[in-house]
Amino acid sequence: MSTSLTPLTAQTEARLQEIGSADILVGIPSYNNRDTVEHVVRAVSVGLAKYFPEHRAVLVNSDGGSSDGTPALVARTAVDFQRLFIGDQQSVLHRIVTPYHGIPGKGSAFRTIFEIARRLQVRACAVVDADLRSISPEWVELLLRPILEEGYDYVAPYYLRHKYDGTITNSLAYPLTRALYGQRIRQPIGGEFGFSGALATHYLDQHVWESEVARFGIDIWMTTEAIASGARVCQSFLGAKIHNPKDPASDLSAMLTQVMGALFASMEQHESVWSRQQESQPVPLFGFPYEVGIEPVHVNVAQMVSYYRQGLADLEPIWLQILADDTFDHLRNLQGTAVGDCRIPDELWVRVIYDAAATYRKRLMPREHLLKALTPLYLGRTASFVQATQGLTSTEAEEKVEALCQTFERMKPYLFEHWNPQALQSVRPVLLRHTAATTTAAGGVHE
Amino acid sequence: MNDFISQALLKPLELLGHQVLVVLPNMLAMGIILLGGCFTAWALGFFIERLLRVIGFDHLCDRLGINAALLRGGVKTDPSRLVGRSLYWTVIVLASIAALGALNLAPINQFAQSLLAYVPHLVTAAVILLAGYFLSNFISRAVLIAAVNAGLPPARLIAACSRWGLQILAGAMAMEQLGIAQHIVVVGFGITLGGVVLAGAIAFGLGATDLAKQFLERRLAPRSKSSTADDLHHW
Repeated sequence: MSTSLTPLTAQTEARLQEIGSADILVGIPSYNNRDTVEHVVRAVSVGLAKYFPEHRAVLVNSDGGSSDGTPALVARTAVDFQRLFIGDQQSVLHRIVTPYHGIPGKGSAFRTIFEIARRLQVRACAVVDADLRSISPEWVELLLRPILEEGYDYVAPYYLRHKYDGTITNSLAYPLTRALYGQRIRQPIGGEFGFSGALATHYLDQHVWESEVARFGIDIWMTTEAIASGARVCQSFLGAKIHNPKDPASDLSAMLTQVMGALFASMEQHESVWSRQQESQPVPLFGFPYEVGIEPVHVNVAQMVSYYRQGLADLEPIWLQILADDTFDHLRNLQGTAVGDCRIPDELWVRVIYDAAATYRKRLMPREHLLKALTPLYLGRTASFVQATQGLTSTEAEEKVEALCQTFERMKPYLFEHWNPQALQSVRPVLLRHTAATTTAAGGVHE
Repeated sequence: MNDFISQALLKPLELLGHQVLVVLPNMLAMGIILLGGCFTAWALGFFIERLLRVIGFDHLCDRLGINAALLRGGVKTDPSRLVGRSLYWTVIVLASIAALGALNLAPINQFAQSLLAYVPHLVTAAVILLAGYFLSNFISRAVLIAAVNAGLPPARLIAACSRWGLQILAGAMAMEQLGIAQHIVVVGFGITLGGVVLAGAIAFGLGATDLAKQFLERRLAPRSKSSTADDLHHW
């Protein structure tokens, strides 16, 4: 286990000396979030004062070199506690505003936050995005109290979202995490998390900070690493998540590559954990669930189908290397159908992901090429999901997601077959029990 | 009569015998070098091939995409055998040159020396061609994926251009290294590249601005996103 320290600036080192130690840390990674960061800092400050007045708390802003004055705004944002009826604030909230080192990205920002948490020997940490508009002081309590009082190590968020909001989560991150590790964490790449100081130290000790984890892969990596390390995990209901629109320049392909890269890399690292996991279990949910109005989301299905079809035509040699022959044949059979009928069924999508994971492990081609070549397939699947859920309520759409998750779980033996034939030998008894059911269920793909 | 026999017949025969006696050891040496070279070539090729198989060289090449690249180039032999055979033929060529040198004949010596002096150029050219081939495959695949993800209709054309551009560049560099028509290669490459740039400039600026505009819009413009953009949150 590594004990090397993440480099911090001289000012940050001095602040750490001044503060000494703390009970709670809330981290806010930021990059040009002037519009929203003030609200986030206020919500966190109020949340800490209202729900944890007896604890020594630190707010850390880890900034990626904002040019719009975000760090200065974090440093000077003030809260009028009297107007919020908070009069018994017992300890001062310390603030540390620091740039981070390393590869530019959210993961590197988190690494600095983890390092500060380790130096201050905090008991509980939370991280929240700086672009949030819907964060309230209650989020701080919901993310930290399960750690401080219930003995959990990791708290994942649970949001209310539109059925077309978070499609990477719905079609990939949630079903695959659940099928692999057996924990039904609905928002594994949510962005807001609570975790213990010990888990922060565990994260720091992993040698992943030069990989996709340093960028957008951090969220899924934190979740899978927490489960695989045996941490006690739970969820907290945070209501609706409303945040500033993502940077238009941010590339879907790059985001997808980082999330899938982190997922597949975790699969490689934790093969011994997920290969023995047979069924999924519900994860405890804290908070008070309620319904809120969600803004409608407009989706251009024809455009997504068009991207998918171009991929099928132009990337055929690459997809043939990634996918099993059967899988590719079924995709090709969709080529002649009209836009409205071009649908990738659940079983076929699961095969695509499991084939891609196996090819990633075998290094049959450069991994970056493999991950990026899956973008049109993902868009094709997203278009299929949108078409299948048009006119359905959020609850009915959620049932479709649940069905996909069950397909991922049911077809896990398919993953074993393609992932590592040697591993197949060691889990053969489990496979024998599941194969009959899988063959029956997956039969629709062949027909 | 005796003089005649001595001068006309025996003298040349004696001379021939003398020459044969001079050359014979060299011939023998040449034969030994050739035989030794053949054996060394076979042994080296055989053992290196076996060693590479044992250490999993073929698997490594498979992971790096070299096998696929070889298949695409019509080479069906596995990499271990390819390296073994290359080594075999390299030793054979070197042994042949050394064997010819053992004859100690001026023209053959000169030929062998010039052949040896050319070997580094041959090796450099081969390395350039190989590197160019693999690099062009890697880059053209990256370009193809990026172009498809960007929704550019002529993605395959763009990828093919990048592949052939790199391979032609590597070919030109290799030919220059071999000293084959150096000036023609450089001038030819310059003319081709200059011609492409000039044609593009004329198309854009002078000849058919509207036509070029329409053509480029039709061929290169990504599918319109602004008019029908969605606000799907993938994250």
